[in-house]
Amino acid sequence: MRKFLTTVLVLATSLSLRAQNVSDLIISEAVAQPDSTGILDDYGRRSGWIELYNKSTGTVNFGGCYLTDDRTNLRKSLIPKSDLRTKLGPRQVVLIWCSGHGADGTFYADFTLAPGKTVYLVSNDGRTIIDSLAIPATLPYGLAAYKLAADIRQQEFEFIDNPEVPSPRMINGDHGSATKGEIMKERDPYGWILSVVSVSVVFSALALLWFLFWLLFDRPARKAAKAGDASATLSMTKGKRAVIPSEAEESQVAAAIALALDMETGGDTYAAIATAVHLYLTQSVHDVEPGIVTIRRTESGWNNKALNFRKLPRR
Amino acid sequence: MEHIFESLTQFWEYTGFANCSWQNLVMIGIGLVFITLAIVKEWEPMLLVPIGFGMIVGNIPMFPGLNIGVYEDGSVLNILYQGVKQGWYPPLIFLGIGAMTDFSALISQPRLILIGAAAQMGIFGAYLLALLFGFAPNEAGAIGIIGGADGPTAIFLSSKLAPDLMGAIAVSAYSYMALVPVIQKPIMLLLTNKKERLIRMPAPRVVSKKEKIIFPIVGFLITAFIVPSGLPLLGMLFFGNLLKESGVTKRLANTASGPLIDVVTTLIGLTVGASTQADKFISVKSILIFGLGLLSFVIATTCGVLFVKMMNLFISNPAKKINPLIGNAGVSAVPDSARVSETVGREIDPTNHLLMHAMGPNVAGVIGSAVAAGILLSFLG
Repeated sequence: MRKFLTTVLVLATSLSLRAQNVSDLIISEAVAQPDSTGILDDYGRRSGWIELYNKSTGTVNFGGCYLTDDRTNLRKSLIPKSDLRTKLGPRQVVLIWCSGHGADGTFYADFTLAPGKTVYLVSNDGRTIIDSLAIPATLPYGLAAYKLAADIRQQEFEFIDNPEVPSPRMINGDHGSATKGEIMKERDPYGWILSVVSVSVVFSALALLWFLFWLLFDRPARKAAKAGDASATLSMTKGKRAVIPSEAEESQVAAAIALALDMETGGDTYAAIATAVHLYLTQSVHDVEPGIVTIRRTESGWNNKALNFRKLPRR
Repeated sequence: MEHIFESLTQFWEYTGFANCSWQNLVMIGIGLVFITLAIVKEWEPMLLVPIGFGMIVGNIPMFPGLNIGVYEDGSVLNILYQGVKQGWYPPLIFLGIGAMTDFSALISQPRLILIGAAAQMGIFGAYLLALLFGFAPNEAGAIGIIGGADGPTAIFLSSKLAPDLMGAIAVSAYSYMALVPVIQKPIMLLLTNKKERLIRMPAPRVVSKKEKIIFPIVGFLITAFIVPSGLPLLGMLFFGNLLKESGVTKRLANTASGPLIDVVTTLIGLTVGASTQADKFISVKSILIFGLGLLSFVIATTCGVLFVKMMNLFISNPAKKINPLIGNAGVSAVPDSARVSETVGREIDPTNHLLMHAMGPNVAGVIGSAVAAGILLSFLG
């Protein structure tokens, strides 16, 4: 049962991961009616086309996904699964020709485009719509309906109302936008703002960590130590009631161990001293043996006849 | 006879002697110095031997186009170098560091965490100075991280912000980490008086297993939520520590802190060294980076020591005062800077052991520098 559940869980995870991958695809551009300047497909025709874009930083295989222009028939045009070329690299685009003849090749769809239609990209489950692009009814010949990223690094694409000159196989975005470094140089030429903000964030993060551990562990532990016996307190370790020396004793013991080691080894043994003190204080070592001997029966196999047989020579 | 002569001439053209330049010889000389320091002085041998030898490997003069150089696509060295270039190695090293680090010293005295934050000022001090010297903000950020005294973090950030400067930044960071005792001691002595150096700190309290297990989880959640861009480093650091402290993944912890970190350290050292090819390395920028790197260490140490002195102003109980000699340990050169605290402390009082106390800010510095790298990445990446 446990194995079955684990298998189901793994499968479910892998399916969702796959879905996540494909969901990074968008239909970034579409030309419904190319004019005489439009690009030709592999057969020398001027068909309408759509452009798919992978906005993720990983490779996405869109083989097995569907394209359609009919909301009621989401499985209209299947993108073949077996073609290795359906693997789309990060931030890459691919053109799909809407020639109406899917049998023309992997990158051909079984429908044609026309103004006023909406084209859908459907996941390999045949149900989930990943993205869509509505082609305006007034789209002129030769122009494209497209989505544009205001900042190409942010990868947030928006549909643009005004049709544009097609840009097949090119990422739609402002490629000339300034880098973060350039923006910082303009806003903060001497670096003071970044420095002050960064130092504050580093301090805040570590101060929060300090406060939490002080509040949750350090403070209660010190309170417990004070409230307990003057010479000994019980450890907080679950299930153990080891005796911890008081602070004064700890210091004396640490110093004594350090001195003894120093005299014995004659010099540079700081690491050993610190380790010894640390081990002592955390009860990782002990001076008193518990005095309990446990004997467990284990099979030695000394009287197992099968082990005493001599193997017959092989011929 | 003519063919033999032609073949010999051709062979000569392929040899290192025919392609050698003075820059190659300078870099090979620096590589030899690194190896000598590592073997004779035992300064960071685990790092300086691979880096030094890598420098020699990367600067053997060769005929271009043989597809063997570190910058030639598809060559063996180039494939190994991808771990540095793409930033795979640093998180793996952080995994090993996490599996080796004992945060007990920090958990037992949480106030010492703040010293680890103060010492990160070196990063931003160097950032400001680098901007003054005309570096672009992303380059300045990559140079500033040298002040964190953390080689993997420096490589990780420079591979993202300024890949062209990565060789100089990495070599600078590792060189100064090896020179921590030389750089930090005079600053510590200059900024403290005898009375301060004699301060005895209270013994750290015992830390329970529960606290040790909770620390990496809480620490990761807090730091990663504040600076998600530091995820690769912080995630691996705390994950490694959880493997160690949970007690149920001993084999994984042993692998992370043993064979894995050894393999990655070897590869990172060799390929970083090999990336310092003379034609790409010897430049005015590299010299400036070395200068700024030194200054960042000085600023970090100064800020750490002064911050402890400032903390002492607010601590009324003399028994709870902090010895300012552990302020230098806020930089994340683990455990070298903590060792410096111990050594300098013992020079004035042989019975005053500061090592365990200094380990607190030291490991806090590791977290602090990863957080700082994340911030710089989110602003400039």
